Amino acid sequence: MRLCPANLDELRHALATANGRRVPVTGWDLHALGALLEHHPEDMTATAQAGMSLADFQHTLAQAGQWLPLDPPFPKAMTLGALIAGNHSGPRRWGFGTARDWLIGISVVLPDGRLVKSGGKVVKNVAGFDLCKVFVGSHGTLGIIVEATFKVLPLPKAQRILQHICATLEEAGALLERVVGSRLHLDILDLHRLPGSPPTLVMGFGGPQEDVDEQCQALSHLGICQPGDMEYDGLFHKWPHRKCAVMPSALMDTLARLEGCAFVARAGNGVIYHTQGPPAPPATAPSALQQRLKDAFDPHHTLPSL
Amino acid sequence: MNLASTLCVPLAPRLDTSGWVDSLRAIVGAESVLADPKELLAYECDGYTLQRHPPTAVVLPRTTAEVAAVVELCARLNLPIIPRGAGTSLCGGVLAVEGGVMIALTRMNRVLALDVRNRRALVEAGCVNAWVTREAAPHGLCYAPDPSSQPACTIGGNIATNSGGPHTLKYGVTTNHVLGLELVLPDGSVQWLGVTPDGGEDVEGYDLRGALIGSEGMFGVVTRALLRLIPTPTHWRTFLGVFDTVDEASHAVSDIIAAGIVPAALEMMDRLIVSALEEAYHFGFPLDAGAVLIIELDGLPAGLAAQAGVIEALCRGRGAREVRVARDEAERAALWKCRKRAFGAIGRLSPNYVTQDGVVPRSKLPQIMQFIQETSRRHDLRIPNVFHAGDGNIHPLILYDEREPGQVQRALAAGHDILTRCIELGGSVTGEHGIGVEKMDYMALQFTESDLDAMRTLRRVFDPDQRCNPHKMFPGSKRCSDFAVRKQAHA
Ligand SMILES: Cc1cc2nc3c(=O)[nH]c(=O)nc-3n(C[C@H](O)[C@H](O)[C@H](O)COP(=O)(O)OP(=O)(O)OC[C@H]3O[C@@H](n4cnc5c(N)ncnc54)[C@H](O)[C@@H]3O)c2cc1C
Repeated sequence: MRLCPANLDELRHALATANGRRVPVTGWDLHALGALLEHHPEDMTATAQAGMSLADFQHTLAQAGQWLPLDPPFPKAMTLGALIAGNHSGPRRWGFGTARDWLIGISVVLPDGRLVKSGGKVVKNVAGFDLCKVFVGSHGTLGIIVEATFKVLPLPKAQRILQHICATLEEAGALLERVVGSRLHLDILDLHRLPGSPPTLVMGFGGPQEDVDEQCQALSHLGICQPGDMEYDGLFHKWPHRKCAVMPSALMDTLARLEGCAFVARAGNGVIYHTQGPPAPPATAPSALQQRLKDAFDPHHTLPSL
Repeated sequence: MNLASTLCVPLAPRLDTSGWVDSLRAIVGAESVLADPKELLAYECDGYTLQRHPPTAVVLPRTTAEVAAVVELCARLNLPIIPRGAGTSLCGGVLAVEGGVMIALTRMNRVLALDVRNRRALVEAGCVNAWVTREAAPHGLCYAPDPSSQPACTIGGNIATNSGGPHTLKYGVTTNHVLGLELVLPDGSVQWLGVTPDGGEDVEGYDLRGALIGSEGMFGVVTRALLRLIPTPTHWRTFLGVFDTVDEASHAVSDIIAAGIVPAALEMMDRLIVSALEEAYHFGFPLDAGAVLIIELDGLPAGLAAQAGVIEALCRGRGAREVRVARDEAERAALWKCRKRAFGAIGRLSPNYVTQDGVVPRSKLPQIMQFIQETSRRHDLRIPNVFHAGDGNIHPLILYDEREPGQVQRALAAGHDILTRCIELGGSVTGEHGIGVEKMDYMALQFTESDLDAMRTLRRVFDPDQRCNPHKMFPGSKRCSDFAVRKQAHA
């Protein structure tokens, strides 16, 4: 059963009813719960309903000169709920992490219809257990996220993206090591290889204009000065792909084993999105503790399984 | 003489220790078990001294296997277990309310491995916070969360309380810097949660490591942790802004944040703190200032210069009479040393104090500081302040003298007023110190019964018997003070 509630009460009621009747809920459409609830630029926090798209959220923040520094592909199609449930991130992961790092408060409807919240609206808060982390990356298997509060940042005064096209993966790997070992302050550190294109290292950074100029100069000493952009990320993510994560130091060896396939790698983090390649390792069964968590919050398995 | 110990009587008949203390000795060796009442006195409280209660026994294991065996024995005998680090908690987090076996990690204190390329450190849970950065510094790396207690507190304690520090304003708190950890669950089984020492950053399944961080020792015993290291900032500028009033300084903080500048640290100290620090360490603080701000920027040299001008202008715009810049690394280090020793200097002002840890939205700082001044007058107690202003995380230190009749009650009432006001202003009763036994009753003010129920559900996932660090966090838990009040009434 798919839920398409007109408001929060309807969602709570519909989910509780499905749960009571043991009807599995396979998905939900929260476009009716898409409002911005609060934005306090002077506190650098913002609260919105989970059905709001990331693009709309960013648009509102931008009017006050702020942003949530997360840039997963397709922000128009991604709701804040999905952003959290998938713990998403984009090219700026190297500088700003993932949704987990910016979420400070959450409201969730549990399968029995109860509304629970965790965290709050202040940037530092350790009252109670951190249920935010339980729901981040839980893929909608424990409850339906209806509201979230994020800490946000001022938009950088200036930004720049540079790229370097490499002849071989080895060349890219050597350059990557020099960049990682430097004192550069990068927000983007990606390596990609799209079909028919050579491996390309992408570096992005932002801040006061003086910082951006200084970093451009430092990168030009490494021979990196070609302007770049982030279009590769949206392009790549339209194709079916898999993800794997390795230690950053194991990145190049892992990429070498991917042979001909296309990839986008968060090179600093060691996270690789790739098209076909070696068969995926069989999915490991959830640990007993993971299963206990699922059973505790969704005892009748009304929501999708993990 | 200590007030609390005279007020606080054991809640239950002392646990029958027959046999099982010997079993503990068999696991960890006789020299690693304390059960003599005199030795146990050192473990009767933490940094929160209003309540005291010794555990029944303390074990000092050296390996994860020893911890697991001890925990497994306690599971079989249905004994409470209380994980403990350095005991610097400020909320009674390690109080053995009904006795039980305290597992102190202080002998498991090594940095096991540094992985410079991947910017990771593997440490034992009893490793002292400052030691991580000490080991990493020669490689140009550091461990970002820097609680003021960092020369003493342990990584295990930091994980349990999700500790912050001055520089977490820019770099984030403990949960942003702990990649993975080894946990001995209350049934004695050992699990690794989160990123493994040789694994990638994204882990399948639920973020159990995240769920554990900040769980105040109630989910099991952390034995090892994998920490994220960051490059040590190479360029910084540290200012001392001198203001006539706390109000002006508070407004300057709000202005800096509102201007879109995120300093690495932004701390406030008021007149009482400054004078106590000056007396103790002779830094050269102005004694007649109403408040000082320590503002630190780090980053690339060019941008620093530009932002420095803005900071100075904003401070002056709010009436700063002086904005000093630390001349060199030595002066900067001296300034931070003073700041981080501020609680320690309070001994010069008062025989007793209780530290509060409320949070307000940053723009409400002027309001809460005003309220603290009123509260101080209303209860006729001095309340100096030294705190993480940039985060809106206040630390009013309520001074009292337990020998003076009524002062304890007034100190508690003043704390209550301030924390209640923090909630009213949209904040929280604790930004980094935790709930422990101290702030249990505020949980019902800040959360609904459903919220608390969801937390209890999470707890039972890790600890179905609720045997690990019991009587903390949730309103209605048993406490010493219930008895304290009664005993006082009799007196
Ligand atoms: C002078 C002073 C300054 C302070 N400044 C700060 C500050 O700036 N920021 C801040 O956040 N805090 C601060 N604190 C509070 C305190 O230092 C922190 O909460 C710290 O993280 C506690 O560490 P600890 O090793 O002393 O833990 P303990 O006090 O021993 O224990 C604290 C909690 O952690 C649990 N615990 C400890 N070890 C483990 C483990 N291995 N596994 C599971 N649970 C465990 C305990 O059960 C308890 O609930 C300060 C305290 C003092 C006295």
